[in-house]
Amino acid sequence: MSFDLANNGNDKEDRKYYDRNKGDDLQISRTDMNMLIMNYLVTEGFKEAALKFQQEAGLQEPALCSSLDERIMIREAVQTGRIPDAIAMVNALHPELLDNDRYLYFHLQQLQLLELIRGGRAEEALAFASATLAEAGANDPNALTELERSLALLAFPDPHASPFADLLLPSHSQKIASELNAAILKMENQEYTNPKLCSLLRMILWSQNELDKHNIKYPKMTDLANATIEKPKHGRRL
Amino acid sequence: MQQLTVFMDIESSRSYIDELYSPDAAKVVEALVTLKNSVIGSNRQKSSVIQQGVVPRLLQLMSDESLDPNIRLEATITIGSLAKGTAENVSSLVEQGTATALVELLKTAPIGTKLTEAGLCALRSVFMHPPAPIASLPADMRLLTRLTQIAREGSPTARACVVRILSIWCCGAGEQEALCAANACGAAAALLAATPAAATALPALDLLAAMCFENANVSQVALTTRHGDKTIPELLTTLVCRDKPLPVAMGAARCLTFMHRAGALPADDNRVVFGALPCLARLCTKEMPEDIRASAAETLAYLAEVDTSLQRLAAISNHLMTSLADIVNCQSPAAKQGAFKCFASLGANDEDIRKRIIETHGLMVHVVNGMNNPEASVRLAAVRCLHSLSRSVQQLRTTFQDHAVWKPLMQLLNDSPGTELLTVGSSTLCNLLLEFSPAKEPMLDQGAVEMLCSLTKRPEAALRLNGIWALMNMAFQAEQKVKQRILCCLGTEQMFRLLGDSDTQVIMKTLGLLRNLLSTRHHIDAIMSEYSSQVMQAVIVVLEGSYPAEVKEQALCILGNIGDGEKAKDLIMANEDVLRKLVDYLVQASEQSWGPTSTEYVSRAIQWAIDEAAEGAPGEQAAGGGAVRGGQPGVARRGGRGRAPGAPRGPRRAARAQAAARKARRRASARQSEDGSGSV
Repeated sequence: MSFDLANNGNDKEDRKYYDRNKGDDLQISRTDMNMLIMNYLVTEGFKEAALKFQQEAGLQEPALCSSLDERIMIREAVQTGRIPDAIAMVNALHPELLDNDRYLYFHLQQLQLLELIRGGRAEEALAFASATLAEAGANDPNALTELERSLALLAFPDPHASPFADLLLPSHSQKIASELNAAILKMENQEYTNPKLCSLLRMILWSQNELDKHNIKYPKMTDLANATIEKPKHGRRL
Repeated sequence: MQQLTVFMDIESSRSYIDELYSPDAAKVVEALVTLKNSVIGSNRQKSSVIQQGVVPRLLQLMSDESLDPNIRLEATITIGSLAKGTAENVSSLVEQGTATALVELLKTAPIGTKLTEAGLCALRSVFMHPPAPIASLPADMRLLTRLTQIAREGSPTARACVVRILSIWCCGAGEQEALCAANACGAAAALLAATPAAATALPALDLLAAMCFENANVSQVALTTRHGDKTIPELLTTLVCRDKPLPVAMGAARCLTFMHRAGALPADDNRVVFGALPCLARLCTKEMPEDIRASAAETLAYLAEVDTSLQRLAAISNHLMTSLADIVNCQSPAAKQGAFKCFASLGANDEDIRKRIIETHGLMVHVVNGMNNPEASVRLAAVRCLHSLSRSVQQLRTTFQDHAVWKPLMQLLNDSPGTELLTVGSSTLCNLLLEFSPAKEPMLDQGAVEMLCSLTKRPEAALRLNGIWALMNMAFQAEQKVKQRILCCLGTEQMFRLLGDSDTQVIMKTLGLLRNLLSTRHHIDAIMSEYSSQVMQAVIVVLEGSYPAEVKEQALCILGNIGDGEKAKDLIMANEDVLRKLVDYLVQASEQSWGPTSTEYVSRAIQWAIDEAAEGAPGEQAAGGGAVRGGQPGVARRGGRGRAPGAPRGPRRAARAQAAARKARRRASARQSEDGSGSV
């Protein structure tokens, strides 16, 4: 037993950090990279980019989901604030979806409310909230808090300067659009509702978290967008 | 698209509801789409639309084959959305004939169309709300074949819907056979093989479980049904693996369990031993979510209920005992009852396992608390657990006594419980009243005799049996006042009624009770002085009636006991009929019409009865010898033969009886032949 331990210790000493600039035997095939990118484009609904990419990279016909066109239109409608259109399209595509996922439905209605607030139509917004959103708020405490946050925007003369301005940012509607997109894909029994690239990045973050938890020094990726890796300063080595 | 759609309340919806009745197809479609978008996602809108009486019109639009397919489709989708509302919404839909209309639609709508899919989705939503309108779907072969065809060939959604509907619909042997004949097994196998696993496999697993449950025939068909190159058990074995989603693994293990219990897979089959059992033990562990643990424990209880080898294997699998003890602490009633049931199954036969169960810290406290749980299912499961543990002599004398378990048990049984609880509870009582159980005395004070006597008057044979069995145990080596109390409370009339019972077991135990009452010379004389005519009448009734040999043997044993009484002996000697009967039997016994074993017993019993009666003053030696001779066959027989193979608790009872018999043999002090210490 003690012999094993000693051996392990030696291994640790010998292990080198992975050097990005050095070539090694770990080859990643170009096709694999292309497939990951294609998966991202298709899942996220960038249809034209996907087709262009397929031409340029010389890939096989991408396995476009049957609902790709619809999903693009729905995403567009959500991000441009045409919520009733989006809801109608979702209902035409998957009639059971919004009945099954009431929280998602609430989020769409919340976007509709935010559109009214953005347009300065306070009275309509209140009427709309009491006529439709109140029901979801009464059934779900999460929805109630979010509803309160949204309605609080009305109290400010300039909602964009309020503490709840994040709700009016495009990123909020993008978030809901992605949520909706994932729900549609799940409805269609797609194995992955998120792009695989996303999962890879998540895996990196998770591993780093685990390493951090154990106070281990290692080359850490600090900026995902640029894949910047910082060398460890000192301390225990992996 | 109207901008107003999401604003609609009852007033503004009036106009487009009017449009539903328009002769213009385009207008109707538009109105339907508006209506659909208004009800999806909002229970309030659904309720309001149903209250406005739109449903009949929607059903009409859905069912009219002459209409534009789009109208029918949108109407069906709207109905489907209404069926996702509250329980009241759904029951009002069913009252208006929605389920029947949907079934009619499915009979004619072409497979693979959107209309069929929408109809199936709607019907599934209706069926998911209990009580499901089972009757709306008749067991019509053409319809079922059509549905299973959809389950094989339809779109993924349609397949999942059909199988879910059928899994809810299948709730009896008739439905099981009908589905099997419509090749639902094949459809389920196809869905099990489909990827990804979760979406389609779950309803298919539920359907398969519903079909195989307690049905040997269907299970046998499932055993050999193939999809591609794999049979259903093989497909299930791949699904119980660790890499599969938990509900899928759970469902697959349940199917294997049901197939085992229905006799299709033997207990030593690899798919049971290395497939279902370890999977269920794993799903019981701490890391799993509570609902999975609850159903895993309950399924494991069912898997190991009768087979001792599976019980032993489960007991050493994956720290199961610790996992179960932890589940008992869960809040939900489902989890608690699952764990209790599983403990009950594990400890059913093996004394070592029972010991380990009881050593699980604090379990007895939980069992006692469980008997006081407000949830009826938990109380029942706790009593089941107690019943299983009460088969242990050691526990009866130690842990049971420490926790005074008889108190909550008596309270439960006196509290007008349901039949099932009463059956299990009275079985436990039988064991608690064994002569070596310290709980016997306090229970007598709590009115156990009266309760048991009332049990013997119940219409359910199992309850009568438990009642009389417990009385028999109670009378074994009892004091005279206890015996008097039993006789007094039961009454000779009831005793005669029990001798005419339709259940032979009940008759046997009644005679056993008489035997136990008539033991110890002093008691025999006392009882016979009061009840001589009734007892003799009972014996003669049995000897002259058309009873099986084993019953008559019991009567002869009673005679043997009577013969041991000082004065009571004269009753036999003075009764010409009885003496002649005895001689007849001695002659008959040599004929082969009775089995060789029973012949031996009977001739022994008679010999003994005559010996007792003839000997002037039987010494200690002679009487003691008689007791051993008579006592052995009486007890040993219970373990040996005479149990119907299908009797539910048969094997366990027999195993316990054998142990009891061993104990009885050790008790050499018993003077008379007594039929004691049978535990259930």
